[in-house]
Amino acid sequence: MKGRITLFVAALSLTACAAGMPDVSIDQLSNARAAIAAAKAAGAEKCAPKLQAEAVAALYAAGHEFSEKDYHPDENAELASRAESKAKAARAKAVKGCKPEIIKLNGIRFPNDSAKITSAAAAILDKAVATLKRRSDIKVEVAAHTDSVGTDAYNQALSSRRAASVMAYLQSHGISASRLTSKGYGESKPIASNATKAGRAQNRRVELRVQ
Amino acid sequence: MMKFRIVLCLFSLFAFALPASAASIESRTEAINVQLQGNNSYQADLARELASVAQEEKDQHDVNVARTFMNMAEEHAAQAGGSK
Repeated sequence: MKGRITLFVAALSLTACAAGMPDVSIDQLSNARAAIAAAKAAGAEKCAPKLQAEAVAALYAAGHEFSEKDYHPDENAELASRAESKAKAARAKAVKGCKPEIIKLNGIRFPNDSAKITSAAAAILDKAVATLKRRSDIKVEVAAHTDSVGTDAYNQALSSRRAASVMAYLQSHGISASRLTSKGYGESKPIASNATKAGRAQNRRVELRVQ
Repeated sequence: MMKFRIVLCLFSLFAFALPASAASIESRTEAINVQLQGNNSYQADLARELASVAQEEKDQHDVNVARTFMNMAEEHAAQAGGSK
């Protein structure tokens, strides 16, 4: 008898420790679910990640609160409404336009008229390799840019060589080719004035554009 | 009698372990924040939001629910791939 009681108490304790996943399939959350699905379809996870994350977290929180049998009816409704409005805002932002996420590779420099990876550049690229290994779900475009010194055609070709060189480095350090593309943008996308030395240095850059 | 003592001892240890684990919600939240520093992806944001919900639940003394949300947060943090 004592054994049975002990077993019962232990089982009860273990049951108490396990809280299930919040149930978000209930009718009261249908509007929020629909809004989140619409935002996701519009690309909100990529274009408005924070808003979409807030919406999903609010949905889960609401799912939990509703499971408490209307213990806080006002709070439940507020959470459901919050999830819906955040998702709508995320969708609107995604529809309006999506800026690509850019992983900057600050400090990468190439010798003049060269696409050779220097030891200093390799140290920076090793960090990028680590990032890409951690974030194994993303694909990136290696984008290289030049300043405006030289002809358009020359800069275009040079940036393409540099982008390809960086991509080859990433590949040779374990990043799958299926996750990588490379593109040279030449001098077409400056981020600073080409009239100054400092500006031109900023424009000569390589970055990873998350696809 | 000996068996009963052992069971009682184990049960007491188990019972005392509960608040200790609950107290670690803050440290787990901090670990997520450190792990995801500079990572503004959807998965990273969701991990931070869920950790925040876990913290709120813990503040309301709903420790089991706090743990569930924290487990969810850690799953998304793992998917986010760490810091950038």
